[in-house]
Amino acid sequence: MPIMEIQNLTKRFGGLTAVNDVSFSVEEEEILSIIGPNGAGKSTLFKLISSFLRPSEGRVEFKGERISGLAPHIVARRGVIRTFQETTIFRDMTARENVVVAHHLRTEASLVGHFANSPLARRDESSFHESAAEILEYLGLGHVQNEYARNLPHGYLRALGIALGLAAEPEVLLLDEPFTGMNQDETNKAVEMVRGVRDRGITILLVEHDMSAVMKISDRIVVLNFGEKIAEGTPTEIQNDDRVIEAYLGREDEEIGI
Amino acid sequence: MEQVIINGIYSGMQYALIALGLTLIFALMGVLNFAHGQMYVLGGFVTYYVYGVMGLPFVVGLAATAATLALVGVFFEFVIFRRVLKLSVREESTMLVAAGGALFLESLVLIIFGEKHRGVPSVISGVWKVGDAYMPYGRLLVVAMSALLIGGFILFMQYTRQGRALRALAQDREAAQIQGVNVDNYSMLGFAIGATLAGLAGGLLVSISGVNSGLGTWISIKAFIMVMIGGAGVVPGAIIGGFILGMLESVGYTVLPGGETYLVIFVALIAFLAIRPQGLMGKPWG
Amino acid sequence: MPNQRSLIAVGVALVIYLIVLPALLADKPYFLGVLTTASVLSVIAAGVWLTFFIGRINIGQGAFALVGGYAAAILMTKLGFSFWIAMPLAGLTAALVSIVIGIPILRLRGVYFAMISLSLTETARLSAQSFRSVTEGAKGIVNIPLPGAVEIFGFTLIPDFSTVDKHLAFYFLAAILLIATFAAMYRLVNSRIGWLFKSLQQNEELASSVGVDIARLRVIAYAISSFLGGIGGAFFVAAQQSVYPASFQIQDSIYFMLYTFLGGLGYVFGPIVGTFVLFLSFEFLHGLNEYQPLIYSIIMIALMLWLPNGLLSIRLPGWGLGTKANPERARGA
Repeated sequence: MPIMEIQNLTKRFGGLTAVNDVSFSVEEEEILSIIGPNGAGKSTLFKLISSFLRPSEGRVEFKGERISGLAPHIVARRGVIRTFQETTIFRDMTARENVVVAHHLRTEASLVGHFANSPLARRDESSFHESAAEILEYLGLGHVQNEYARNLPHGYLRALGIALGLAAEPEVLLLDEPFTGMNQDETNKAVEMVRGVRDRGITILLVEHDMSAVMKISDRIVVLNFGEKIAEGTPTEIQNDDRVIEAYLGREDEEIGI
Repeated sequence: MEQVIINGIYSGMQYALIALGLTLIFALMGVLNFAHGQMYVLGGFVTYYVYGVMGLPFVVGLAATAATLALVGVFFEFVIFRRVLKLSVREESTMLVAAGGALFLESLVLIIFGEKHRGVPSVISGVWKVGDAYMPYGRLLVVAMSALLIGGFILFMQYTRQGRALRALAQDREAAQIQGVNVDNYSMLGFAIGATLAGLAGGLLVSISGVNSGLGTWISIKAFIMVMIGGAGVVPGAIIGGFILGMLESVGYTVLPGGETYLVIFVALIAFLAIRPQGLMGKPWG
Repeated sequence: MPNQRSLIAVGVALVIYLIVLPALLADKPYFLGVLTTASVLSVIAAGVWLTFFIGRINIGQGAFALVGGYAAAILMTKLGFSFWIAMPLAGLTAALVSIVIGIPILRLRGVYFAMISLSLTETARLSAQSFRSVTEGAKGIVNIPLPGAVEIFGFTLIPDFSTVDKHLAFYFLAAILLIATFAAMYRLVNSRIGWLFKSLQQNEELASSVGVDIARLRVIAYAISSFLGGIGGAFFVAAQQSVYPASFQIQDSIYFMLYTFLGGLGYVFGPIVGTFVLFLSFEFLHGLNEYQPLIYSIIMIALMLWLPNGLLSIRLPGWGLGTKANPERARGA
């Protein structure tokens, strides 16, 4: 049974239809990528799935329950966590503090308990610090954990974003363009990192337009063009799909420009 | 009924003029010019002095007002905002320095012109009668001149090289810079125009309702309301916001006693912003 | 966590504040009054600081001081409540009002929130003027009794303010309010709640993506902020024994913002430093009459131009004052 189902999702902005009747499902512990040329509606679809946007029609189901239309923090509470592109972090906190804050969903003490520094609150804090250290170590950020996030180089920020996501103990992790702007070497490392996250038992759904990384990492791929799903399948199937080739060839100039 | 509409148009036209300057400065620099009301007051006093005290023609008073306020605008941009905008990453800093600027201008006006409410002799006398409604010619003149200024401003923004550069700057500061727009100079020009519009509104209005040094904050608040209704940084939004406030005020003063009009307006505004935080025409989060 | 040196500093400051100053100024009611006012203004400013801490520019604190002031006045004169019950209830009333208003307006950010918060002070004044049946309109509520005695089993815990030196009594009340407020604020900011507030300040979308209920938290912060405003308002009403629609005006709201800013937004104790420095210098500039606001505004602008992170960002050698971004290391000097 699929862990997530996207059913007839449509989003209109005024007269413009950004996402049109898109359906697909996500299997447990797979890596599924959504790709498409610029302006295909990828990032709108991403926001719809993470509930940062409300769909005009259709719904998103997680484990058989509707999550579309719920507040983002409630969707997060259910176990669907999104990450952002690299500039979205808590800039004026250290890497460690970023990840500790992101453990919010695991708090057992109440707000009053935290204010009064109750035993439960203290236990929360120490377990968060431990877990944050572990996550940072795992993602190769151990040696920069006390640096302010605003001072970290770009490569680390991407990993920090994923660390924030992991801290929330997701069942499904949604990654927003995790490989964009990376060179070959960095992409390879990032691909390894995302695979490692999946091997922890987390389902990965990502949006990306770097084709080569997507081909390498994905179990399955969904291709969008002009807001509509034009293909779905394994990387090999997608590479040989006429409509996909056409969609990309027709826009080759734009793609090269990136 | 006609009287209510005519009063609404009369207030709406001057309010639109006030909001226009505020929204221009916001669009260009992301700065909420707290001193806008104080600039209006200063404009009123300059016209009062040149026209009312020195006895020169009203138009000369307005010209002197425009010149004075353009200088004040340049001073504000160059001395106060430029440095703070470059130094600070937090929005609060510009907000506070703007509040400081407002206090500065207000106390300066108080020292120079005193605390008395000042008026000037009417520019033209006579009353225009439409149906059951009355409109003194003096007010008609204010409406006409405000309309002229608003129209002139829109034409300037649409069809001159400077206007186009200002629009480019408002849209995307960095892109404008890359295209060779001198950001510093045009920010200064924009600030000067915004200040001049506020001052001219004050200069026009002094011929009807007079001016006093304590009026500034209240004018700023009204300007904020209009900008919140229309959407910050959007020129048509400012004009629409001005007219909506003018009409609400005109209706409110007819049906409600005293201060309750604005109480209702504030409550309605909060309800409106709960539904539409970016105002009628604004982009989300300005 | 506080180190030994700062604990000693806080101890010395408390001794001066609670023993030395009142002993020196016991027969100088004017100076005592100035310090009393500055203390309570710091409490109100602490609320503004907290809204800044979640990333909202609050120019409406005067509204909640006015709400608290009227609530206290009405409770004491019309319903016969003792001041000691009326004051906390005034804080709660202000907090309640701020929750109702805050739910819609806290969705706004940046200049939008600043603009609407500025209008709140005016809304509060107009409400006080319009609802004559409860507020007495422009006449205001006058002849409010001084705080009475609190006795438990015949033992006088707090004396009736009319039977003792009321200047001294209000000074100590203000001092206790200030100490309690800032102790609580220090704890709040250094607890997980403080970190959550800080996450809102830096990026609300990101905070909600990791499960933080941002809408609830910002209403909580705003309610605490307004509670402090309401308490402060109730204090001033009791001290002046009257309240008018113009008791707290837009100018006051702007000053509260200024006090917090001057001390430094990154420091919990910033509002104390900012308020005392500005308010005391304001009092000393009193002889300058009409030039006073002009000088004030020039100080304000100059500060922003040359000291944009507040007074506490000046590093005193050996004091180890914290950096701006690290509130847990910040402390009042």
